[in-house]
Amino acid sequence: MRIEFMLYFYGAVCISMLAFNVAYAVLLRSGESRLTRRTRRLTAAVEEQLGRLDQGLPVDSRHLSALRRKLRRVNNLTAFDRTLRPLVLQRGDDPSLQAYLIQLQPCILYLALIYRKRETTQTAYFSYFLSRYMLQQHMPVQSLQDVLLSYMARENLYCRVNALQALCSFGNAQHVMEALHLQDRGAVFLHEKILTETLLTYTGDHDALISMIWDALDTFSPHTQLALLNYIRFRSGSYPKEMFALMEDPGQDKEVRLSAIRYFGRYHYAPALEPLLAFAADQDPSRWEYATVSASSLARYPGEQTVEALKQALHSGNWYIRCAAAASLEAQQVDYADLMDIVNGDDRYAREIMTYQRESHRIQKAGVAP
Amino acid sequence: MNMDAVQLFFDIVGAFFVLYMLGYASFLFLAVAVGSSTLYQLKRRNHLKNELLQEYYVPVSIVVPAYNEEITIVSTVRSLLSLEYKLYEIIVVDDGSTDRTAAALVEAFGMEQIARPIHRMVSCQPEKAVFEAPNLKVPLTLICKKNGGKADALNMGINASRYPYFVCMDADSVLQYDSLEKIVRPVLEDGTVVAVGGAVRPCNGAEIQGGRVVSYHMPSRILPCMQVLEYDRSFLAARILFDRFNGSIIISGAFGLFKKSLVIDAGGYDTTTMGEDMELVVKLHVFCREHNIPYRIRYATDAICWTQAPDSLSDLCKQRRRWHIGLFDSLTRHRRILANPKYGLVGFISYLYFLIYELLSPYIEIFGVFTVIAAFALDLINVPFMILFFLIYVLYSAILSLTAFFARIHTIDLKLSVTDILKAVGLCALEVSFLRFILAWVRGTALLGYRKKKQQWGTIQRQKINFQ
Repeated sequence: MRIEFMLYFYGAVCISMLAFNVAYAVLLRSGESRLTRRTRRLTAAVEEQLGRLDQGLPVDSRHLSALRRKLRRVNNLTAFDRTLRPLVLQRGDDPSLQAYLIQLQPCILYLALIYRKRETTQTAYFSYFLSRYMLQQHMPVQSLQDVLLSYMARENLYCRVNALQALCSFGNAQHVMEALHLQDRGAVFLHEKILTETLLTYTGDHDALISMIWDALDTFSPHTQLALLNYIRFRSGSYPKEMFALMEDPGQDKEVRLSAIRYFGRYHYAPALEPLLAFAADQDPSRWEYATVSASSLARYPGEQTVEALKQALHSGNWYIRCAAAASLEAQQVDYADLMDIVNGDDRYAREIMTYQRESHRIQKAGVAP
Repeated sequence: MNMDAVQLFFDIVGAFFVLYMLGYASFLFLAVAVGSSTLYQLKRRNHLKNELLQEYYVPVSIVVPAYNEEITIVSTVRSLLSLEYKLYEIIVVDDGSTDRTAAALVEAFGMEQIARPIHRMVSCQPEKAVFEAPNLKVPLTLICKKNGGKADALNMGINASRYPYFVCMDADSVLQYDSLEKIVRPVLEDGTVVAVGGAVRPCNGAEIQGGRVVSYHMPSRILPCMQVLEYDRSFLAARILFDRFNGSIIISGAFGLFKKSLVIDAGGYDTTTMGEDMELVVKLHVFCREHNIPYRIRYATDAICWTQAPDSLSDLCKQRRRWHIGLFDSLTRHRRILANPKYGLVGFISYLYFLIYELLSPYIEIFGVFTVIAAFALDLINVPFMILFFLIYVLYSAILSLTAFFARIHTIDLKLSVTDILKAVGLCALEVSFLRFILAWVRGTALLGYRKKKQQWGTIQRQKINFQ
């Protein structure tokens, strides 16, 4: 009898699941049409306010208080997002739309405080909303940026990424620095690629931000330092002295020094040549990464000295050093006659990798795939 | 014969099966409930833009091992070239095909032979020729090598790859346009992720254009149709559940991403097993735990790979035989994981589940069928109860299949016709009451003579993929 009871119990559980599934499907469909209806209503209301602004009138205070009330619900906020999206796309520079967004400020600030207390998925969505609508022009409000900084402290990856994105769209270097420190201290992992790419979207003065980064670089963990150095490398070639100091400082983290070496592979800096040659010539197997990255960076430093160093590196016992050296020699388009001793030499590994680089380059240059 | 002893035997068998079924039913329920709720949560998260919206590119090498794939290889590579991802390369490894696999690629992409040295980091058979293609969106390399099996071909691909992460995939599969972006997301979200499994779905019935599904129907043939339901119930739901506690011990060979340096340190793919995909994942668990490396093995439900489900029963049997041998190899090689506290929940839940409900289940089920027949012959069975038990089992499994199926359909916004829904409802009962027992028999006999087949490629009838 107990077995029968269990069987019926499991049967009942299944039927409940099926009922849940059907109910969810119905909700899902009706949810989409509700969202469309809400968007339509909000669009009409916003259009009406834009009409008022066209006539030189301010946004109706009843509209603002209605928004304050409605947008507390995340479903209405998504509808408002859908309302603004085409408007911003079609008439982003329209003075009426700009004025509307500016007059929306108190409402947005109020909502920022509301969403601070919500579950992190909703907070993350609000940060996304802020970063989306060109807020640097409309929201230079200190208190709003303070709220965003508090979002950065939430232990949710998307909340932090969206908040950092929103702060970058404001273009205030001081706040971005504070956000970077917050993420550096936090428990949630932010991949260095995310940090670098988000910083590249910064809308303010990059030189001012980079200057602040240099001042505080030592206070960050090596993981964040790496992301910051990558950002500087992609953004500007104006910091060779600072990078040089990092490259030459044996007390720095290995990845930080390698990033500095890569900087000189992107931007030519004559004083870096000697250290790069020294790194490439280093025979210590434990330092092979320095030798490899230096051999790659030397592609930007043509000259007899470089060619000799790279040819020496081709004889390295390390595969990666040989590859990097061969690629740099090929990138410099060193004359075939100058490589005769390699391609006809006894070192099979050096010969093979150099021949391969030449051939590969030739195929890419000559061939056209169908 | 002593009837008391016989009665006692049947009582013990009965009690065992009640516990066995209870365990399975509970697991299935938990897997489908967690799987469905995860899919719905993911949909809500995406709706609220809780996702990485910028384009962040982690460099990835796609390794495509191929053996006699003349019919599909060109369209597979074309589909890979149309992916919406910027930083990747494609490496096709022709494992000594006896057909025109290599020639088809060389002709289609104007590839040229080149003397490319390959860095041997994991062991594999030597290469016979290397080809590169000019001026494509991303680098395309073809390596022709001596036959050594799928694992050996994958090892060659790892050796030839340039990037820190590699994706393995089957030559008869198509990646959805955003699948690379989705499969690297877990790596960006968590620095300890060393491997990510993608969601493999049968493409029978789907029309795919430029890596996008433009129309989706249940397959017209019954067998692939039943496999669609089986994939959702058994694979999708269970993998989501295991993902919750870092307990995934299988990433399908059809689509998975791995951190190359760790795979190399762990010794690469094992060339002596047929289930190289599962063996590698179990090995990564063991390697990381033994070396105290913090790690996560994730499952990306939205990174989709469309694959051909076998159309004929004989092909399906071949496929399942291979899977079962692979499972046997992986579990026996790493048996020290079982209930070993050092391996945490992987040893207590994942391994135990795969041992009891995957590896031993065909034997248990076949034994169960014979016991029922014997009990019936001896008039020791309550026939109405047995029928009721079976009907509840069919209803239960069918409803869970449908729950998993509809959860997937709803959350990826696929539209089904009424005919498709009726087909799904009708066939899910058929799948659990017939196909399951046929496959139990196939898996139960898979290990007969398995040593001879270990390094062979599966020979399933290929069809040209409808990729435009």
